[in-house]
Amino acid sequence: MSDAVLLEEIDRDGAVQEALQGMGADTTRAGLFRLGLLAGGGILAAGLPLALSDASEVPKSDVKILNYALTLEYLEAAFYAEALAKGKLSGSLLNFAQVVGAHEAAHVAALKSALGSAAIKSPKFDFKGTTGAKKTFLRTSKTLEDVGVSAYQGQADKIKTPAVLASAGSILAVEARHAAWVRDLIAGGKAGLLPAPEAFSTPMSMSDVLAAVKSTGFIKS
Amino acid sequence: MSNLNQTVDVSHLEPFDHDGALREAAENVNHSSRRAFLRSSGALVGAGALYAALPGAAFAAGGIPKGDIAILNYALTLEYLEAAFYAEALKKGALTGATGRFAKVVADHEAQHVTALKKTLGAKAVKKPTFNFQGTTGSQATFQKTAILLEDTGVKAYQGQATNIKTPAILRAAISIHPVEARHASWIRNISGQPPAPDAFNPAADMATILAAVQGTNFISTTGGSASAGSSVSGKPSVTG
Repeated sequence: MSDAVLLEEIDRDGAVQEALQGMGADTTRAGLFRLGLLAGGGILAAGLPLALSDASEVPKSDVKILNYALTLEYLEAAFYAEALAKGKLSGSLLNFAQVVGAHEAAHVAALKSALGSAAIKSPKFDFKGTTGAKKTFLRTSKTLEDVGVSAYQGQADKIKTPAVLASAGSILAVEARHAAWVRDLIAGGKAGLLPAPEAFSTPMSMSDVLAAVKSTGFIKS
Repeated sequence: MSNLNQTVDVSHLEPFDHDGALREAAENVNHSSRRAFLRSSGALVGAGALYAALPGAAFAAGGIPKGDIAILNYALTLEYLEAAFYAEALKKGALTGATGRFAKVVADHEAQHVTALKKTLGAKAVKKPTFNFQGTTGSQATFQKTAILLEDTGVKAYQGQATNIKTPAILRAAISIHPVEARHASWIRNISGQPPAPDAFNPAADMATILAAVQGTNFISTTGGSASAGSSVSGKPSVTG
C-alpha cells in the first residue's frame, strides 16, 4: 500500500477544485497584466528563469496552470512547515525537511510573484497528524513529491509560454530530486523502495492530481 | 581530476580533450539530418513504432523538424554515454551495497532511454561512440563522483532543451526522461553524502555548454558519426587524450 495510501483517504469538500474553477476571466485578466509587469522587473525569485516579456502572449490557460502549480506548492510548503514546527524530526529527516521546506517556500514565492493579483490564495490545511511522526511524515512526503513530479510533467506540453515552460521544468527537476531523496530515506540504505522506480516518469492530468489531493483531506478551505 | 569536479558546475570543467569529436559529431548530425530530412520530405518512417516505448507519445506521422532530430541525437549521445558508463561499472564489479543497487537500476533505465531514442530516430540515429571512462568505473568513490557529474549534467541538458523542442510528442518523451535523470542524480548524491537537491530551481544548460563539458571529461574516444551519412563523416580522427 505504498503509493496509494494517501489517495484513498477521505475528503469531500473539493476545495481545490472549486478554487481553481473560481479562477475566471477577471483574475486571468489581472494575471496577464501582472505577468506583463514582470517584464523588466526581475523581481522574481532568484533562480527562477521566469521572465515574461509580453503580457499579451500569456494565455489564460498558462495562468491557470501556474495557479494549479501554486496550489500544490502551498500544500507542500505548509506540510513541511508544520512538520518542522512540530519538531519530531531529527538527523537526515530533519535536514530533508529543512531543505525541501525552503525549496517549496521558494516555489510558492516565485509563483506568487509571477501571478501577482491573479495568484490564488493559500487554502487552509489539516495534515491529519501526519506531520507528527517520522513514519507518517515520510510516507506523506513521498506521496506529495511523487504527485508533484507527475503534476508538473503532465502540464509540460500544455504550457504555451516558453518562459513558463522553462520555469516549470526547473521546478519539475527539483520535485523529482525531492521524491528520490525521500524515497531513499524511506529505504534507509537497504533494498526496497526505489528512488527512481521507472525508466520513464508517468505524467498525471490536472483532474487526476486534484482528485488525489482532494482525497487526502488535507485541504480544509 | 578536473573532470570529476564536485561542484558539478560544468562550465568550470577544463576541456583537456582537443579532438572536438563530440562537437563534430553534433555538427554532422545537423548536416546529415538536414539531408535526410530533405530526402524524406520530413517523413520519419517508423517514428510511431519507437514511441511505443515512451509513455504518452502518440506520434503524428507527419515528420519531425530537423531541430528536433538534432535534439534527439544530442539526447541519444548523452544516453549512450551514461548507459556505457554504468554497463562498464557493473562489469568491473567494484560496486557494493547501495551504490551497486543504484548502478543496476540506473543502468537499466539508461539502456531503455537509448533504445527508445534509437527507435525514434531510426536511420537518423547517431551511432554509438566508443568510450574511455579513464578508470572511473573501477572504484566506488570515482564511480560515485562520475555518476553525480553525468546525472546532474543529464538533468541540465534535458531541461535546457524543453523550450527548443517543436514536436509535442517529443516534448512529452523528453519530459518523461528529465525527472528520471533528476531522480538518479538525487539518489546517487544521497548515497554519496552530497546534497540531493542543491537548488530550489534546477539550473538548465544549453547544448554548447553540455557538449563542452562532456568533451572535457575525455570519456568519448571516438565518435560513431551520424548514421545516415556514415561514410561521409568517417575519417574523424580518434585523438587519444
